[in-house]
Amino acid sequence: MNCSEMLRTQAFLDGELDDTAAKQAERHIENCKACRAFSASIADLSDMLRKQIPHHRAPDALRRRVGKLLDEAEEAADPTPFRRRNFWMGALSGSGGTALAAGLALFLILPPSAATLAQSVTDAHVRALMNGKTIQVVSSNHHTVKPWFAGRVALSPPVADFQQQGFVLAGGRIDKVAGTQAAVVVYRHGKHEIDLFVWPAGKGALPGENTTQGYHAMFWRGGDLNFAAVSDTDWTELRKFSGLVRAEPE
Amino acid sequence: MDERRRRFETMALPHLDAAYSLACWLSRSQTDAEDIVQEAMLRAFRAFDGFRGGDVKPWLLAIVRNCWRNAGADVRRRAQTALLDDGDASLASDEPDPEASAMRTSESRRLDEAIALLPEEFREALLLREMEDMSYREIATITGVPIGTVMSRLARARAMLRETWMARNLA
Repeated sequence: MNCSEMLRTQAFLDGELDDTAAKQAERHIENCKACRAFSASIADLSDMLRKQIPHHRAPDALRRRVGKLLDEAEEAADPTPFRRRNFWMGALSGSGGTALAAGLALFLILPPSAATLAQSVTDAHVRALMNGKTIQVVSSNHHTVKPWFAGRVALSPPVADFQQQGFVLAGGRIDKVAGTQAAVVVYRHGKHEIDLFVWPAGKGALPGENTTQGYHAMFWRGGDLNFAAVSDTDWTELRKFSGLVRAEPE
Repeated sequence: MDERRRRFETMALPHLDAAYSLACWLSRSQTDAEDIVQEAMLRAFRAFDGFRGGDVKPWLLAIVRNCWRNAGADVRRRAQTALLDDGDASLASDEPDPEASAMRTSESRRLDEAIALLPEEFREALLLREMEDMSYREIATITGVPIGTVMSRLARARAMLRETWMARNLA
């Protein structure tokens, strides 16, 4: 059984098509027996591979050896470590220097403030909307979206479909929140788009509910993850949405 | 530790598992994989200044692959024959039912053998896609072929693997 569209069908299943092409492919698969069978077999195979095949973890000994190799390479690449250290010692000598250094360190490890987070999430949402790049993997199937995140970001965001409640899973992308990598699960609600940002929780406080440049954002923490739902939809809908997400078991 | 080293550690080291996993799959030996990864990390660190942003993972995996291709003929020949010297036989040991666990292990071993039978260019495309979740573009960059070639290799790899797998299961 063969069909000239099989490579496109494959690209669709691999999450490689943009919105328009994905819809065309989806329609084709519905009407083509060969591509339906092909889709099912690829999905089975992929499922089996992901379940059965060991993902090797680098042994600790290797990790240590790599660290040592880097130490050596660093020394070899830096012919004047002594002089450079002297420069800093000189620049920071005296009690003023120590206080400056202490202040600097304190500043550097401070987590992003609630205001920074609110601005950062809205910025990311707006930037993606303006570039038309809110979605990197197009799929209304959470079995496609969830594994897509696996190799791309060091966390596994909850991905569910709330179609019956009017929030349709549209896909996902990788983005940044205040410099930290975040998984973004994208939902559609009528004509509005809702971005659900998920990133590892740090020490800083979250803003709670917040409106920036006309976009509403709701923040909450779940386990060791931070969540932010951002959209231009109204508060009632956004609260309903975040309620659904929070009720979802991870 | 200087700034460059710190940047390298935050950006590249999180992908050490992926690098090692790919090296295991290419060389089919954990010992050879360790050598390949060490070489690759060192090269990556030296070349890090030339890294122009973007995603580190495909960049790093491309280096791993190059190290593998430059590895000695003996290492490459071993990979043709060797089954993975598998320290991960305990993979399914967290499974409560020992019988199910044994079945799963034997199934994953057979699958592993079926993957081993794939020609190298098909095998790497499939593993980069399924194990590392690389996009077509990333696979094209890593393996140095056009995207169209990636697509047809993936399709061939999947068809071949499926055939071998079915044949073995019937046998």
